[in-house]
Amino acid sequence: MRVTDLLGVPVRTESGESLGHVHDIRGELGARSLRVTGLVVGRLGLLERLGLGAPRTPLRVRTRDVLPWSQVVRADRCGVVVRSQAKGD
Amino acid sequence: MKNLLQVALGILAAIGGFVDIGDLVFNVQAGAAFGYRLLWVVVIGVVGIIVYSEMCGRVAAVAGRPVFDAVRERLGFSVGLSALIASEIVNFMTLAAEVGGLAIGLQLLSGLPFHLLALVAALALGLVIWVLPFEWIERLFGYMGLCLLVFAVAAIKLHPDWSAVADGFVPSSPPGDRLVYAYFVIGLLGAAMTPYEVYFYSSGAVEEGWTPKDLGLNRANALIGYGLGGFLSLSLMIMAGALFLPNGIEPELLGTVALGAQVPLGTIGLLLALLGICFAVGGAAIDTCFSGAYNLAQFFGWEWGKNRTHAEAPRFTLAWLVLIVLALGVTMTGIDPVMLTEYAVIFSVVALPLTYLPILLVANDRAYMGRYVNGRVANAFGVVYLLVILVVAVTAIPLMLLTNQGQG
Amino acid sequence: MSKEIDLGLGVLDHQLVDSEGRRCGKVDDLELEGVADGRPAVAAILVGASAWRGRGVLGRLAARLARGRMTRVPWQEVADVEATLKLRRKASELRLGRGDDRARRIVEWIPGAR
Repeated sequence: MRVTDLLGVPVRTESGESLGHVHDIRGELGARSLRVTGLVVGRLGLLERLGLGAPRTPLRVRTRDVLPWSQVVRADRCGVVVRSQAKGD
Repeated sequence: MKNLLQVALGILAAIGGFVDIGDLVFNVQAGAAFGYRLLWVVVIGVVGIIVYSEMCGRVAAVAGRPVFDAVRERLGFSVGLSALIASEIVNFMTLAAEVGGLAIGLQLLSGLPFHLLALVAALALGLVIWVLPFEWIERLFGYMGLCLLVFAVAAIKLHPDWSAVADGFVPSSPPGDRLVYAYFVIGLLGAAMTPYEVYFYSSGAVEEGWTPKDLGLNRANALIGYGLGGFLSLSLMIMAGALFLPNGIEPELLGTVALGAQVPLGTIGLLLALLGICFAVGGAAIDTCFSGAYNLAQFFGWEWGKNRTHAEAPRFTLAWLVLIVLALGVTMTGIDPVMLTEYAVIFSVVALPLTYLPILLVANDRAYMGRYVNGRVANAFGVVYLLVILVVAVTAIPLMLLTNQGQG
Repeated sequence: MSKEIDLGLGVLDHQLVDSEGRRCGKVDDLELEGVADGRPAVAAILVGASAWRGRGVLGRLAARLARGRMTRVPWQEVADVEATLKLRRKASELRLGRGDDRARRIVEWIPGAR
């Protein structure tokens, strides 16, 4: 799977509630790895979508609100399904 | 002290490069059509390009990114590619107009046939870029471009009505055709805010390895370079307003522009004007051509740089070579460079939002810019000009069509 | 020491630079692994025209026109991520920058290309 397969796909909970779309994918950069730790989902303001208003971090992140990958049930290019208690991070 | 001198020389060399064929055509036509009434637009345009180029220079110095890196990173591949295609088309039209303009200038100086001189012009430009180190190119074209100051002298010697000139800096309701007036407003803004010079500047800054220490230099370059370029543009309009408008002369040829210096200053004026035009347009052609190559290389990730050897950045080298050859091809078809310039300026204004917005975004991005991020003043200007650019981009083509390119 | 980064904003479409400081392409896409079994990570960087197929309509068109080739660079080859992605080895060792290598053969015909 490619990262572009997941960017922009719709996200919903197991119970069918829509949480928005995948705006970005959060990762953790290690010495020799880049692990995926979560998804940036949902109702971002226009500014955040344009990449502004980002918290002051050494690298590029859009926002501090991230859906941890542990909440993801299924992810493919059709969409992402997360556990129902996942919202409201 | 020596550093200061170097900086001053650099800026001086750059001034010659800030007037191109778009400025020559639109400022003179505007003066011939509306006298001094559009001087205020030049000021707005010059401030706009100062804002844009200062931001690009700051992004280059702090974030290490030239314009098209920022475009692709911010807009993504698809939208970024559209921005690239639009910019390349505009760059190419501008380059063809400049090669043609240079050929006309050479023709006025030598009397040799146009097609031969177009070939000479393209070969000369290609050879100069291939052989000369870039510093020498900048100095040569920059200093010789200063001959254009003859137009400032000419404007003064024509004894314009200075109170009318002063009035021209205040926007006023135009006599006669409002649509043509609006078209010239768009055209003048487009001629002042030509993006290729900014792409070139931003790439140069990255190549020179600018750091935040160079931000003062960045501001000086932007302010003084474009400021004095604006001074030349104003001179052109005042000269045209004083000479062409009262005599009903419509400057559709570059030769007519040079006439503006000959009438008050005689043969020496004519010679300086023609030399100035040739070097300013030739220098602009080089910048445009490189800009086209920079944009491609920066979007696709190729090696680039005017200070690399040609073999070190081969796709970049091939890009500018191909651009010159194609531009020569267009010029050889005999298309009128002045008309091509008008189209190029209008289209460049339509494409401008696509490359301005990513830079404004990056300039506001604290993660890239740290404490050099846009302050409130910079953002006030930045956002105001974004709106100006959007309005201009949307109205440009309708106005061009409605007014039949300013003919009314 | 680990750092947080967003793949779309901070990695995708960024410039690749090899160990000698040579520019050798952009991150055109990223290959993920372990998505199905809950331990997702970036496996490799995908560089080349063929990788544009996932980048929208224009991307697919461009991929076809450019007769896409693609190079896969395992993520372990990445030394650091800042404004650009710095790689551990030379471009030639990673099969990157081949477009420049091909173009160089043409440019070197002209005297003075050094």
